[in-house]
Amino acid sequence: MILFTSGGLLALLALSIPVGIVLFLLAFAIDFFFSPFPLMRGLGQIVWSSSNSATLIAIPFFVLLGEFLVRSGVARKTYSALESWVSWMPGGLIHANIATATLFSATSGSSVATAATVASVATPQADKLGYDPKLFSGAIAAGGTLGIMIPPSINLIVYGFLTETSIPQLFLAGLIPGLCLALLFMVVTAIFCAAKPSLGGPGISATWAQRFRGLIDLIPLLGLFGTIVGSIYAGWATPTEAAAVGVAMAFLIAATQKAITKDMLVESLKGTVRTTAMIMLVVIGAYVLNFVLTAAGVSRALQEFLQDLGWGALATLLVIVLIYIILGFFIETLSLMVATIPIIVPVIVQLGYDKLWFGILMIILVEMALITPPVGLNLYVVQGVRKKGPFTDVMIGVIPYAIAMLAMVGLLILFPAIALFLPNNI
Amino acid sequence: MTKLLSLLRRVNERLAIAAGVLLLVSVLVTLFDIITRPLGLSLGGTDELSGYAMAIATSWGISYALTSMAHVRIDLVRARCGSRLQAFFDAVAIVALAGVAAVIAYRVWPVVAKTIKNNATANTTLETPLWIPQSMWMAGWFWFAISAIIIATCAVLFVATGDAEEVKKHAGMGSDA
Repeated sequence: MILFTSGGLLALLALSIPVGIVLFLLAFAIDFFFSPFPLMRGLGQIVWSSSNSATLIAIPFFVLLGEFLVRSGVARKTYSALESWVSWMPGGLIHANIATATLFSATSGSSVATAATVASVATPQADKLGYDPKLFSGAIAAGGTLGIMIPPSINLIVYGFLTETSIPQLFLAGLIPGLCLALLFMVVTAIFCAAKPSLGGPGISATWAQRFRGLIDLIPLLGLFGTIVGSIYAGWATPTEAAAVGVAMAFLIAATQKAITKDMLVESLKGTVRTTAMIMLVVIGAYVLNFVLTAAGVSRALQEFLQDLGWGALATLLVIVLIYIILGFFIETLSLMVATIPIIVPVIVQLGYDKLWFGILMIILVEMALITPPVGLNLYVVQGVRKKGPFTDVMIGVIPYAIAMLAMVGLLILFPAIALFLPNNI
Repeated sequence: MTKLLSLLRRVNERLAIAAGVLLLVSVLVTLFDIITRPLGLSLGGTDELSGYAMAIATSWGISYALTSMAHVRIDLVRARCGSRLQAFFDAVAIVALAGVAAVIAYRVWPVVAKTIKNNATANTTLETPLWIPQSMWMAGWFWFAISAIIIATCAVLFVATGDAEEVKKHAGMGSDA
């Protein structure tokens, strides 16, 4: 039964059938072969109750927020303000890439949008100042992945929804690991560029007056982040309400940059519906599969199987981590997360680990999936914006950051408090 | 056939804009609720309405994601094949999708039928007659099944006539375009 489920999953995915549809097909097959009573009669009801959700509507809200922000032109000013602050370090502008990605992550919930935005403002600078393209573009691809870790994060909303974990708590848990990861990226950059300066390039010399003037340009994004995350943490607003406020603020930011046109609005709405529908097909599929796996006893069978192996909790966890790293080479982020949650999370809970903590660990692992070839969405996004040079540049440039992520995985396993400190103390 | 498919694409684009406007209205309702809450004017029921908006926007948006080839597919094996074989992969994928879409459409009907039979209302202060949001939601899934079956039929015919490029254009992957 376990072999059937996992084998079927991989085989159908390899056929290039859409991921959401694969989850439905698996659910149908398990129902047909293994369930003592027909489960699919209730399919309509499951589809209704999984999409009729005031929690999940936070997803299109955050997507729309990101669409407004990306089209507002605020990224360019943010980038130049940040480069005056961080480019003195070895690695120069590469740090500005990471810092801008971090700040954008803190407002938009999507990694791909973050990477695309930062790439479009940073790439011209790299050409002008003669940077080595490898580390420079690698930093953008990796920095972009922070979008799904630093709250608000669409992926954390999906995780919370499917595992019945508190979303505000998940948002709290993601904050410190996200910032740690950004810091690790910068440390790695500095080490590499100090050892071999040709990897980086010249920084921008800025006076303190310029730096402080630049801070004004950071106000929109910092204000947006503060409002969204602050109101959720303070308990004033649900994630959905905070997202609605965020949409209004992003609209105002775009309006002050004179970026609002009818075309821009229509494109933003279309983009929002496309992304939301794409996410929701996978989420509904996972919800249906989740239901069937539990009802047909597959989840229990897997837990018993793992118990019989008698490996102990840590060894099993490490095997799971390894599975994610391997699958991450081939499967894209959200699909990887959603397809495995119904199978893996019950096992993790059974082993005695914290669901909240595992959510964050899983996010780092799927962040790696975003930048590991051959299927690493962010690599293609950055390459797409660059429009020149070999694709291998981005692939090589991202390696140091992938190592930093692995280090973060280790740290999180050794010190769960990195994720759990804030939710336990606020 | 090409004409039919591009018409379908345009219709779904319009529907997507409508779904987007529904989401925008939902943002406004939520904002109104937040602003009026301290004043004690809040209507209540915002969560309930947001839920309906999400279900409806999702079921109608899924067809748009289909015609704009946004549904995620794993390209690992397909990318290593020649053009003809890729068209074959695309046809398998769209036929599988159409099959699942048809099953979903078949299974959502009883939900609405039961609601109408029992004259069910939501267990909330709004007491929304549930058939209203549910039938709009159901229509979205019906339309998804119809769109998918149209594309699948065309894709199979294209494969039969050896027109690989047309298959890729209408049922391929976003990255091809």
